[in-house]
Amino acid sequence: MEKIIEVRDLSYRYSEEHPLVLKEINFTVNKGEWLSIVGHNGSGKSTLAKCLNGLIIPQKGTVEVNGYDTADEQTIWEIRRLVGMVFQNPDNQFVGATVQDDVAFGMENHGLPRAVMVERLSEALRLVKMEAFAQTEPHRLSGGQKQRVAIAGIVALQPLIIIMDEATSMLDPEGRREIIQTVRDLNKKHQLTVISITHDLEEAIHSDRLLVMNDGQIVREGKPRDIFKSTDLLKKVGLDLPFAIKMRNALRAKEVPLTDSALFQEELVDELWTLHSSM
Amino acid sequence: MDITFEHVTHVYGQKTPFEKKALNDVSLHIPSGSFTSIIGHTGSGKSTLVQHINGLLKPSAGRISVGDFVIDANQKKQDLKPLREKVGYVFQYPEHQLFEETIIKDVCFGPMNFGVSDSEATKRAEESLQLVGLPAAYWHRSPFDLSGGQMRRVAIAGVLAVRPQVIILDEPTAGLDPRGREEILSLFSDLHKRLNLTIIMVTHNMSDAAIYSDQVIAMDGGKPLLADTPEEVFSHVELLRKVGLDVPETMEFLSKLLKKAGKQQVVTAFTLDDTADAVIDLLNEVKDHV
Repeated sequence: MEKIIEVRDLSYRYSEEHPLVLKEINFTVNKGEWLSIVGHNGSGKSTLAKCLNGLIIPQKGTVEVNGYDTADEQTIWEIRRLVGMVFQNPDNQFVGATVQDDVAFGMENHGLPRAVMVERLSEALRLVKMEAFAQTEPHRLSGGQKQRVAIAGIVALQPLIIIMDEATSMLDPEGRREIIQTVRDLNKKHQLTVISITHDLEEAIHSDRLLVMNDGQIVREGKPRDIFKSTDLLKKVGLDLPFAIKMRNALRAKEVPLTDSALFQEELVDELWTLHSSM
Repeated sequence: MDITFEHVTHVYGQKTPFEKKALNDVSLHIPSGSFTSIIGHTGSGKSTLVQHINGLLKPSAGRISVGDFVIDANQKKQDLKPLREKVGYVFQYPEHQLFEETIIKDVCFGPMNFGVSDSEATKRAEESLQLVGLPAAYWHRSPFDLSGGQMRRVAIAGVLAVRPQVIILDEPTAGLDPRGREEILSLFSDLHKRLNLTIIMVTHNMSDAAIYSDQVIAMDGGKPLLADTPEEVFSHVELLRKVGLDVPETMEFLSKLLKKAGKQQVVTAFTLDDTADAVIDLLNEVKDHV
């Protein structure tokens, strides 16, 4: 697999008097994968995300994006174009007076010629299914729609990576589904690499790979199916469990002989059904 | 304090091109000492509804009574302070409203606004901070050095220090991690029981609405679509889906299993324990019929 981000021995603190918020972090991100980073509030997830597009430059260690070092001022704008970031609050990242102005803002900053901007604008709005709202003012949009506009602004810059920093946590369930579906399409159909910082374990179980953070360190890394087998560790670092696992544990407590294998609700339903047929 | 809405209508931007009827002839009752959750998709009128309870919004038509206090659409302007002292409102992201130098000063701000003396306000602030579980060692520090979850608890203490009888919570767990969410919800569940507070919670989380409430009100298009016990409200799965609402994930799971068994019925269960029992019952039942 082709590496797209490589993080080596990264440590970071906000100032001399403060403790390290990231401690000796090492990991890589593969091109085209969906990587989720989970951990409780204050575990260092968001700080780590800000290191990945050079918003924060680590005091120790290096971050390379597509071969560029984030500490190199010569290439920082190229890195920021390659790595788009969607933040938590939809209202804090809307700068344009209309949807199309907002999507164009990033392209203007990167000095794209007008003809290219016009072409990419309509393409980006089409990808996030917001083309009908090009002239709409932000206050007429739902939270989910605003986040889709934020994603369009990123997509218009033709990035390689999109980072979602709890991008769905302020949305209602419908808005949340809209965003996940949009990003999933970009990931599958357009090979965009996705890094998602999230508390939503039902979202995380669908990712290709998972990093578990606690106290500024990566404590586990692997496929969701393997990681959610160590339920004790997850509880210890203050994380919830996916619904199917909580349900399985509740059934086991009532002596239903279930295995460790189910991660999705559908799998647990199938397992229960098979079990009942053989009883 | 009983809360009653009688034919309440609220129109935003009346007589402008943007006129919008956010509440449409709403009549409902929230009994004193109950825990009521309000659900509904974005734009269904949830927040508009609860903002009438402490007079943040005035009805365009109809009347609202909160205990002895009455707000009538046809009435002239009145002093709302007595109402606001009784009805505390915890806004979304209440930690954004912290502003004082120290935590204790911030919590004192509310009661002092209602004319309580310095010493009494301090006493109440200390009590409230204890209720929300913030250790005394923090009280004279800046609220801005706390974590997000702790800041939220300080903001909630500020509302409690006024000693309201009714508390309105607008999505109290938005943006918190699972641990923080659990802490805030059990805090209110506990306050509800210990202080007999009437709690009204606006939420997008169906499981929270089902587990903590005595009454669930499902809003749609500015009207209550359903208002009943959680068991009754969540048994209307089709109706809820039609207006863009989910059912608790325990019921989603049960419905998948029921479908597999070829059954049409709806089973309501909200806790993992009750759901496990329902699963076992269902499997036994199906087996007996084979």
